[in-house]
Amino acid sequence: MSYHKPEQDFTLYGETFSSRFLLGTALYASPQLMRDAIIQSRCEIVTLGLRRQNPANRDGDAIWQYIQQSGCRLLPNTAGCKSVKEAVTLAEMSREIFNTDWIKLEVVGDDYNLQPDPFGLVEASEILIKKGFKVLPYCTDDLILCKRLLDVGCEVLMPWGAPIGTGQGLLNRYNLRTLRERIKDVPMIIDAGLGAPSQAAEAMEMGFDGILLNTAVAKAHNPPLMAEAFGDAIDAGRKAYKAGLMQKRQTASPSTPTIGQPFWHQQ
Amino acid sequence: MGSAQPVEPEQANTCGGNKVLNSCGYSLPSASKSRGNVTNHKLPQTIAVAGAGLLGRLLAWQLQRAGINITLFEAGSFTPDAPPTIRAAAFTAAGMVAPLSEAVVSDEGVYRMGIFALQQWPTWIAQLPATGEPLFFNNGSLVVAHQQDTSELEQFERELGFVLPGCAGYQHLDQHDIHQLEPDLHSHFHSGLFLTEEGHVNNREFLRLLGDEIINQGITVRTHTPVDVFPGKVVTEKGEEHFDLVIDCRGLGAKQQLRNLRGVRGETLHVETREIHLQRPVRLMHPRYQLYVVPKPNHRFIIGATQIESEDRSPVTIQSNLELSSALYTLSPAFAEARIIEMDSNLRPAFMDNLPRVNSQDGLISANGLFRHGYLLAPAVVENVLAHIFRKPEPIFSDLLNQH
Repeated sequence: MSYHKPEQDFTLYGETFSSRFLLGTALYASPQLMRDAIIQSRCEIVTLGLRRQNPANRDGDAIWQYIQQSGCRLLPNTAGCKSVKEAVTLAEMSREIFNTDWIKLEVVGDDYNLQPDPFGLVEASEILIKKGFKVLPYCTDDLILCKRLLDVGCEVLMPWGAPIGTGQGLLNRYNLRTLRERIKDVPMIIDAGLGAPSQAAEAMEMGFDGILLNTAVAKAHNPPLMAEAFGDAIDAGRKAYKAGLMQKRQTASPSTPTIGQPFWHQQ
Repeated sequence: MGSAQPVEPEQANTCGGNKVLNSCGYSLPSASKSRGNVTNHKLPQTIAVAGAGLLGRLLAWQLQRAGINITLFEAGSFTPDAPPTIRAAAFTAAGMVAPLSEAVVSDEGVYRMGIFALQQWPTWIAQLPATGEPLFFNNGSLVVAHQQDTSELEQFERELGFVLPGCAGYQHLDQHDIHQLEPDLHSHFHSGLFLTEEGHVNNREFLRLLGDEIINQGITVRTHTPVDVFPGKVVTEKGEEHFDLVIDCRGLGAKQQLRNLRGVRGETLHVETREIHLQRPVRLMHPRYQLYVVPKPNHRFIIGATQIESEDRSPVTIQSNLELSSALYTLSPAFAEARIIEMDSNLRPAFMDNLPRVNSQDGLISANGLFRHGYLLAPAVVENVLAHIFRKPEPIFSDLLNQH
């Protein structure tokens, strides 16, 4: 008898994916290492930034085509955009270049830690959704912000684990748990801040639907191997969530029956 | 200064050579093996070199010295001060020869070729007529980070440990050590690394002198002449010209013929100030970019370089200027009054693994893909090409350059 029930679909904007891992394409020592990491991760969605590549002139064509050869769904992002107008303009350009209305929306609020600007994010989401975009917003773990993003029409949320590139893991578990408990039916992907596969597994065990990351893989000494490790951890965390984690207890509880043991061995 | 890890025993080294070990336990190969001692082989009498960037110039020069009749084709101008749109990446580069720093972002093979470069540059420079102007500096380099970014230094060192286990080519520095080495750096740097075996070429001056030498040697230089290359011939807009051998060093100019060759944008600032003196290049580690400042003669400094996956040759952006200028300013506030002499942008030719390749077939040798390592890898690539021309049985660094 198999105890595996068919896995629930991982569905984003009506499209179904078998991998819950989304990978970034920046910061690798070479495009070839990036490609090998994508393959080993088994991911089906990769995100790529265009802001600094002079997209109006299509000067990034060489690398874009190389990424497209991975066969993954492309999720263009607006990394580096600091205003609503910049983000909207870049999203429109991305739609034209990649022929996709999906956009990972980033509106940077702070230059140093790249923290999202929640106000700009809601405003830009609303504008883009009205223009027909399917917006995947990179947001903080604030419940009200997430509700506002849903109000304007986002069907996916991507709260951070920690600021981009820090590798700190899940900094505010209370907030993240609250988000998951209060927003049950919307796919939520932990985006940014994870440094170790164990952190990704933890997020999946908490019931989040997917993981998006870049730096932890790209800056590993062996990115393809680290990508595989994250892929395994995400699978493991998802299985654990589906299997149902045991409740933590205050006292030790022997897992073998105590019948037959002398009573003076028991406390 | 605290010393780094102890030296490990000699590592596997397939490039031959003598047994002098450097601080990372690597033996240094000998360039002289790439020429001479050739048996029963008819050397090419006429060679066309396509592309007068760093590789093209070095090869034309060395081959003419060996008595071969060379014609050098260049799509743009031959002078370093030509407009940016048509000059080779070698003119934009800062000329760093930094095997350890670059090993961190590439691999052990780049390091091996880099330590070869440290010995080869002085040898080549000694072959040029002396002008009194120093062309090569070998004072090591400094890596620093702001206090909030010291994890970047740790990551750098950790990566070095992965790529070159047991490498002892660097020392840890504290605030006092940094001040001793570079008194003009801002005092807020509390920790750093001193990479003892790194240098840099006074590259613009070197290119100028090499250009003069090429003219003096009597090499035929055909500027503003883009070519297509084939085994034994080049095709200009005026027609075909035949040679015993063609060497393709066109960099990005070869993009139509070399699969997966791409351009990677880099931007630099050139500034001038008499308020600051640096003895060596300084690299600033930051979570999102790593920039360096390289001191040049006549109170000049080059700050570089951005690395953007784009074939955009347009002028430097404000964003990049802000990043480059900010890095410079935080290294020393005295840079605030430095004068910006030049802002440059260019494309680095690179294959998808960011590693160089030399492909040799009858009548045509192609050398390309030096990426951000032009001055670091040119000696290895040039000597490899020469070894192919002189039909050496085991070309130097063939395991790294010829087997992709």
